[in-house]
Amino acid sequence: MPERLPWEPSGKPRAMKRAGIVIDLRRCIGCHACSVSCKTEHDVALGVFRTRVRYVERPGKAQLSFLPMLCMHCQDAPCIPACPTTAMSKGEDGRVYVNESKCDGTTDCIAACPYDAIQLDPQTGIADKCDLCQHRTDVGMDPACVASCPSGTLRFGDLDDPDDPVSKLAQEHGARGFREDAKTRPTVQYIGLRPSVEAAVTGGIQLHPEEDEVIYVQKKSD
Amino acid sequence: MTKNTNSLDRRDLLKLAMGAAAAVAAGAALPVFTPVFAEDEPRKTARLGKVDYTKATAIPTICFGCTTHCGVIGWVENGVVRRIEGNPLDINSRGKICSKANAMISYTYYPDRLLYPMKRVGKRGEGKWKRISWDAANAEVAGRLKKIRASGHPERFVFHYGRDKTKGFTSHFCKAFGTPNRVNRRSICSSNRRAPLMSFYGRDFEWETQDVANTKYIVNFGANPMEAYQGGMFLMGRIQDARVDHGARMVTFEVRPSTPANVSDEYYPIRPGTDGCVAYAMCYVILKEGLYNPRFWKRWVNIPIETMRKHIVDDEKYTPEWAEQKSGIPANTIRRIAREFAKAAPHCCTMSNRGSAKHYNGVQADRGIRLLDVLVGNVGKPGGFCLSSLRGWSGKYGQDGLPKISIPGPKPSSPKPFLEGTPQFAELPEHVKTRVRRFPDAWKKKYTGELNTPSEFPLAWHWYAMRVGQMIPRYIAEGRAKVDLYMSFTYGAAYGYPEAKQSREVYKDESLIPYHVCIDINYSEQAKLADLLLPDATSLERWDAHSQNCHELIPYTGIRQPLMKPLGEARPVQLMMRDWAHLIGGGMEKYFDFESSMDGLEGLYEKWYANISAKHKGGWEEFKRRGIWHDETRAKDYELYERPVTAKNLEGSRVDEKTGLITKEIKGKRTTVGIMQDGKPVQGFPTPTRRIQVYDPVFELAAETVGLPKGDPNGLALPTWFPVPEIDSIADDELVFTTFKWNVHTQGRSGHWKHQTEIVHANPVYMHPSTGKRFGLKNGDRIEVTVKRPKGLTYRANEKEPVGSFEQTVRFLEGVHPKVICCSHHLGHWEHGRMAQAKAGPDTPDAVSSDRDMTDNVWWATSQDGPGNGVHTNDVLPLNPAPLVGGQNWNDNVATIKKLS
Repeated sequence: MPERLPWEPSGKPRAMKRAGIVIDLRRCIGCHACSVSCKTEHDVALGVFRTRVRYVERPGKAQLSFLPMLCMHCQDAPCIPACPTTAMSKGEDGRVYVNESKCDGTTDCIAACPYDAIQLDPQTGIADKCDLCQHRTDVGMDPACVASCPSGTLRFGDLDDPDDPVSKLAQEHGARGFREDAKTRPTVQYIGLRPSVEAAVTGGIQLHPEEDEVIYVQKKSD
Repeated sequence: MTKNTNSLDRRDLLKLAMGAAAAVAAGAALPVFTPVFAEDEPRKTARLGKVDYTKATAIPTICFGCTTHCGVIGWVENGVVRRIEGNPLDINSRGKICSKANAMISYTYYPDRLLYPMKRVGKRGEGKWKRISWDAANAEVAGRLKKIRASGHPERFVFHYGRDKTKGFTSHFCKAFGTPNRVNRRSICSSNRRAPLMSFYGRDFEWETQDVANTKYIVNFGANPMEAYQGGMFLMGRIQDARVDHGARMVTFEVRPSTPANVSDEYYPIRPGTDGCVAYAMCYVILKEGLYNPRFWKRWVNIPIETMRKHIVDDEKYTPEWAEQKSGIPANTIRRIAREFAKAAPHCCTMSNRGSAKHYNGVQADRGIRLLDVLVGNVGKPGGFCLSSLRGWSGKYGQDGLPKISIPGPKPSSPKPFLEGTPQFAELPEHVKTRVRRFPDAWKKKYTGELNTPSEFPLAWHWYAMRVGQMIPRYIAEGRAKVDLYMSFTYGAAYGYPEAKQSREVYKDESLIPYHVCIDINYSEQAKLADLLLPDATSLERWDAHSQNCHELIPYTGIRQPLMKPLGEARPVQLMMRDWAHLIGGGMEKYFDFESSMDGLEGLYEKWYANISAKHKGGWEEFKRRGIWHDETRAKDYELYERPVTAKNLEGSRVDEKTGLITKEIKGKRTTVGIMQDGKPVQGFPTPTRRIQVYDPVFELAAETVGLPKGDPNGLALPTWFPVPEIDSIADDELVFTTFKWNVHTQGRSGHWKHQTEIVHANPVYMHPSTGKRFGLKNGDRIEVTVKRPKGLTYRANEKEPVGSFEQTVRFLEGVHPKVICCSHHLGHWEHGRMAQAKAGPDTPDAVSSDRDMTDNVWWATSQDGPGNGVHTNDVLPLNPAPLVGGQNWNDNVATIKKLS
């Protein structure tokens, strides 16, 4: 038997109480490995973004900040009660996902999400959002964005397990959710999130030419 | 391979592939969601389902998204490559990828990809083509090449490549054919920066390999290892680890907020062309305050420290106050950074690239930057400015006994020099003959004509053939070289070169370029000006040797292997050349002794890598299964220069008592193999003096030979700063126009990569808000940018007529230097298919497949009220080769701007 190579999946899911991603902004280099890997992994349509990287200007500063964003997998996810067809669901490990067979494209979830993390696939008309790569984590792999990240910014772990290194990292550096005033209790946690950056990124996660604080010309979510 | 169950009828397929000339007949657009590949080939369907990773096949290969070349794993499901991930066995990339690795999929399955040999049917440049068979295409190319070879002027076959990662294969072909003219694009990339490395260290080590993982302090002069730099992927994560986990500091001087500038602990917007001022002033502080390493200097530098002190300190010309005046960086900041840098030694390093080097004074500026490392003695030390043993495996310097990997079989010899008396010399223009006659013998023996060894730029080929690619179309137009067949390979001068319009004019002119063959994976601006298009295999469909300098500083290599059968009739360039060699015959075929098939090619690479396979229990199959090999038993490449001369090299050697140089007769030539240090024979640096050549008389020799005015600073043997004339004399109402590349793009090659272009498809002119205010502009205003000719000793200098203008909108950005406007240079394509042109909508009749993203989802297309695909900027940038070395001075463009109503 040849030696098992590191990319061969174990085939077994990791037991997790609360699956989440810690985003260490001290390390982010804005390279878009996460957002484009996500696109390829899920064949996400152009114009739809499960994962995005925003480039944010800070007033009077010469340096730009980078901000990867994805579904925050909120513990109190407003999209779930908003969905009239109960398509928006929560897994046992806390991840929020779309049950595609139930979704009829009513867009109530989109309206309810304070992070603009949900969009409709333009061809299928079904809600499209991050599911922390369920099909990958089910076989013991990391989500695509985490597996790609060349600077170690994105890390996947169990945030309810005090011994999980990712959970420890979050603890040690006072990681927090994005816009905690939205009271959604996000499971995706940030290290080094500057209030000015948070304030600049108010609405759509994607960048828009008319927005002054961001510099890539990208599509604002509809 | 999975059998395709719903392929189109072959007749339909032929019609679809026939191209624009015959396309009318093909009629209606393809049904959406139905990618059409050749029969028997698996297709990509509409919204693809999730990959089942327990069933999909993982095959390691090497990315070709940029020049870094990371080891990756491709996941193949039902014959379709679905996912690219990092190869965890790759110690260089550490198993990670950037966004561009994903593009291997989007460019391979690109609906408008070039998949069949096509022959021009209309006028050149008209864009009318008909599909021909490979047999016909090969007969055409080989027939012409055979005639050229028989004519006694093999140099009239010019092979011009942009991105050749066949690692010696095309060179093998050109040598076997007998042409010296395998020319490149290094001068538009890195030659101004490589020349100082070659001069100082005798190698550019396929880049130096700073040990950033262990460093405490990085001073970065305009290098961009997080967006654009060769080896960027290997550096970016290590830099962030050093900064975040180990408290290293990074200081960046740049003219715009590049990614390294953004993440640096200190970012200083600097006046363009003055990076060298800061470096020389840092040298001043280090020398004046005695912060240098006298032991290292004495042992390893080819001149006494007193000479350096006299040059830098004694006449007070490089003071921090002087540098402040020139660069705008406060004198006290320079002092502090110099002290901090020296204090961190040897765990400190410099970085530099286009920001410092792509200027008229860039070579001398970079010599000043390199001097910083030498002064503090961090060279080759842990955390310092390290030099790898050349691509990790070839063992030419430092590491001995490394497994050799090279093309098996007989080796063709290099083409002969154009010596006086040869028919090649006789054809040179008189002024070139005169210059060549002035050359020292060593250069005469290297001179192989104006395209490969341009006589006015001897330092472009004194060390090795870097060449001056951007001048090649001009040289052809000026009659400095005759061309019978010009072959473009993965190359885009028609779009990407400075004054690209000049290249296009040359390519259009059939009297200058009688026949133009273009080999690429895609129909580009360059391809449009060809007579014959040959579809190359993409990185998912081909074999290539892999070698990069290894940032773990140990031997390392890998293999690019196909994950799928080439789509359509695409064919790797190696097989094209093999077939031509056999058709041309005359002895060429013996250098290409393998079968004309993908299996034949695998056989070749299996032999090529025999020594690496031998390191694996399962041999070649196991090496292929892993994709990457490294030798962790080797000591790291620290202080290679202190390693003892090998017993083999000592045998029969002799020592020069005055210089301590150890020389030996190798192949009839007295060769330096080391130097005596404290009575011990050590390897030293691979320079003529075996020391670091801070003083290098080759600059004087070159300047004198080409006739630069006496005392011109380009030709000084000691590192010396001097200003860029057009920037130094810039008027208040003028600005410096700089182009740059975003992290998601790869020069002009990525316009059709859908996910990359979705992120960056617009290129506004960025400027500091105060600049906007000064010119009465607000965000979103439209301006016209007009670029002037340069003022130094370069091509068409001082001509009054500007190079050209373009129009674009303004976007304020705080981090841009107030004297700079900048714009990304990889957009505004008019070829490369629909994605690059942001032409959303139904498939064109000649599209080879379909993708919903292409037909319906290009939200930035003007037809969808989007901003479109940006502006092409490369026509307005002047041809501006630096004296002696010939590197393009990309960043010296003085421009005026005008508000448009």
